[in-house]
Amino acid sequence: MNSSTLILKIKRYNPEKNPSSWEETFEVEVRKGMNLLETLLRIQDEQDPTLSFRYSCRGAVCGSCGMNVNGEPVLACRTPVERLLGKVVLIEPIPFFPVIRDLIVDMSLFFEHYRQIKPYLHGKPTDSDRESLMTETERKEIDPYIQCILCGICFGACPAFGRDAQFLGPAILAKAYRFFADPRDMRSEEILKEVNNQRGVWGCNTVFQCVKVCPKEVPPTHAIVKMRKKILNHRLASFFSRCSSPHNHPSK
Amino acid sequence: MDLLSHDILIIGGGLAGLRAALEAKKAGMDVAVLSKVHPLRSHSVAAQGGINAALDNVSAPVHDTWQNHAFDTIKGSDYLADQDAVEVMCREGIERVVEMERWGTLFSRTEDGKIAQRPFGGAGFPRTCYAADRTGHNFLHVLYEQAMGFNIPVYEEWYALSLVVEDGRCLGIIAFHLFDGRMIPIRAKATILSTGGYGRIYLRSTNAIINTGRGCYLAYQAGVPLEDMEFVQFHPTSLYGTNILITEGARGEGGYLINSLGERFMEHYAPKLMELGPRDIVARAIQTEINEGRGFENEYVHLDLRHLGKEKIMDRLPGIRQITIDFAGIDPISKPIPIQPAQHYSMGGIPVNIDGETPFKGLYAAGECSCVSVHGANRLGGNSLLETLVFGARAGKKAAINAKKEEEMKETFSFQHQCDLFQSSLNKILERKGEESCFRLRDEMKALMMDQVGIFRKESDLIAAKEKIKELKDRFKHIGLKRKELAFNNELIQYFELEGMLDLAETIVEGALARKESRGSHYRGDFPERDDEHWLLHTLAHKIPEGTKLEYKEVTITNYPPKARTY
Repeated sequence: MNSSTLILKIKRYNPEKNPSSWEETFEVEVRKGMNLLETLLRIQDEQDPTLSFRYSCRGAVCGSCGMNVNGEPVLACRTPVERLLGKVVLIEPIPFFPVIRDLIVDMSLFFEHYRQIKPYLHGKPTDSDRESLMTETERKEIDPYIQCILCGICFGACPAFGRDAQFLGPAILAKAYRFFADPRDMRSEEILKEVNNQRGVWGCNTVFQCVKVCPKEVPPTHAIVKMRKKILNHRLASFFSRCSSPHNHPSK
Repeated sequence: MDLLSHDILIIGGGLAGLRAALEAKKAGMDVAVLSKVHPLRSHSVAAQGGINAALDNVSAPVHDTWQNHAFDTIKGSDYLADQDAVEVMCREGIERVVEMERWGTLFSRTEDGKIAQRPFGGAGFPRTCYAADRTGHNFLHVLYEQAMGFNIPVYEEWYALSLVVEDGRCLGIIAFHLFDGRMIPIRAKATILSTGGYGRIYLRSTNAIINTGRGCYLAYQAGVPLEDMEFVQFHPTSLYGTNILITEGARGEGGYLINSLGERFMEHYAPKLMELGPRDIVARAIQTEINEGRGFENEYVHLDLRHLGKEKIMDRLPGIRQITIDFAGIDPISKPIPIQPAQHYSMGGIPVNIDGETPFKGLYAAGECSCVSVHGANRLGGNSLLETLVFGARAGKKAAINAKKEEEMKETFSFQHQCDLFQSSLNKILERKGEESCFRLRDEMKALMMDQVGIFRKESDLIAAKEKIKELKDRFKHIGLKRKELAFNNELIQYFELEGMLDLAETIVEGALARKESRGSHYRGDFPERDDEHWLLHTLAHKIPEGTKLEYKEVTITNYPPKARTY
């Protein structure tokens, strides 16, 4: 057996304790091929049943097990232990969210922002009993943004959100673009209006941290930049139409 | 005592639960969903390959119809499915899939812009509609979006402790808030269970860690028998090491299964359909190759996608590529994927009619935790997502219709009584100073089920398993918990989960031991043939003080008389 010892220093939090926050070191025997989530589950089983963190799919699709590992926000299930051996690994909750217990953070603000953009398709009414048609080109424009699993990792890497919790945040702006780009959604203007402010696309620092940390290769910054361009084009178009309209369209 | 109240309470926020919630909400009811995780973390999110519906979008020599779909499903079920229910699913499925598209699902498309369809195991047509290889993810997000649009409240990270039943009528549940440890009764005119499967009873499973069969146990504990529990699906292709699912769509797109001799060995098992045989047959074939020494490291065979080419893999199977890179360090564009069969799906569950009604008034079930039965002894790939939508919607609709007829909920002592009962048993559990620990018993159970109640079964193994389950249930009574507080007590939740899983494991073992035939996923080496004369029957497992008591009921046959099943 090629097993070795992994040393984890875990940031703990329990508001009922004094002090409420402390660091605790755990040593676990790990095998090749194990991931960090399995290691944490083993600690919970064998060493400390109070160690709290979220988990579900263990296959990087559910978005539960986001946490900071050596300062980088990652999904624990997608983090192989081989990469962590050799020195003490610091495990902390995802930054910028209030901590509930240990590695469990309160994501209600994240989902509040999500609901604010009315994240459901506003389709055109139809009597058809068949699907609407869409080209593969149209689909591929939206596809990268559909992959978002709403794990919140990008918020933890986002300097704009870190500075201002009112900033809608990368995942949510990517979601907004997902609906904006969907030819089935009737709202293009409305979505642009919603994000045309400091809380929205203009709050982003375009430092691409979200793109870098996303475990599903979603590029929120690209979505933000695309919506900025659309907004600017609209402004330009309305500026020109205002300049020219009195002469060209005297009746309107 | 705090008492919450809703017209309709749905336990579980996966596809079946959310679809039921939407239907009941649209019928004007006060609906709430309760889930031990945020709904988007439900296991439905992991479904990959697609959903079957006879849309007939892809050109084939003849037109596809829902009747063809029904035939394939019934044959795939090894004739144990109730045919009236299968017909409902295949007929209504078309509308449910189109509706998902209208709600925003980003389906892959055909050249003429329709929903794309791919071939899947055991199907005569390319009938499986897909959103690349992330169909479940797409669906779950779309339904959650719809649920948010309708402002359906969700009790997130709440746990269902027990059903409250009075005179054969379900009145609601006792719930437990995982973060503050409060025990809170919730009263409902209708309670819908949609808690998914119980894959985590097995050592190797594609299921999420949360899939412990809670809903099945809640119903079973309250006196509802469980149907066809011995039929446990093993998926042919799980990633060696983590057992994460590698979709059947990989074979649907043309992937080969290769043994260590370099052979496409499926030609010996299903010469016509080859890799696209139904799951029970392909899983047994793979395991046979491994057992007979034609696997790699005696553990796995190869799923080879290399001949599909980079473009097709990137377009149709991007999620698989991401999984194999992330979890095995293998890029399927240049290397074959090591795969082995693993537990994947529970065909059995809470018996329901085509409207999701259980034997108890006021109690409904939908999705994997239920047994309609549309999958019989073996589910076809692409039919589970379909089942969640069709029967989730039907359960939500029926629950709403029945709840509207209900008078205002009367005051009852049942909730207080049940809370008191639970509290006193909880006190005993917490006071106990036992030597046993949850995780050891759990791991022993998982290994036992994998080794002796798995793909290949025989009497001596099943008798040994029955004894071992009894032993584990006995040792369970000697578990001592390390912490006494209720909030964030992960070991206490493990304790509840294990209690349920041991009971479910027992129903599987007993059902498998009694069924002296081989049918679909249930393969008995000592009884290798299907025996319609004696065993064309559904099993019903009832909870009794000594364990489980089995009864049987007839299978509904409409238009498809049982025939030999060859592929």
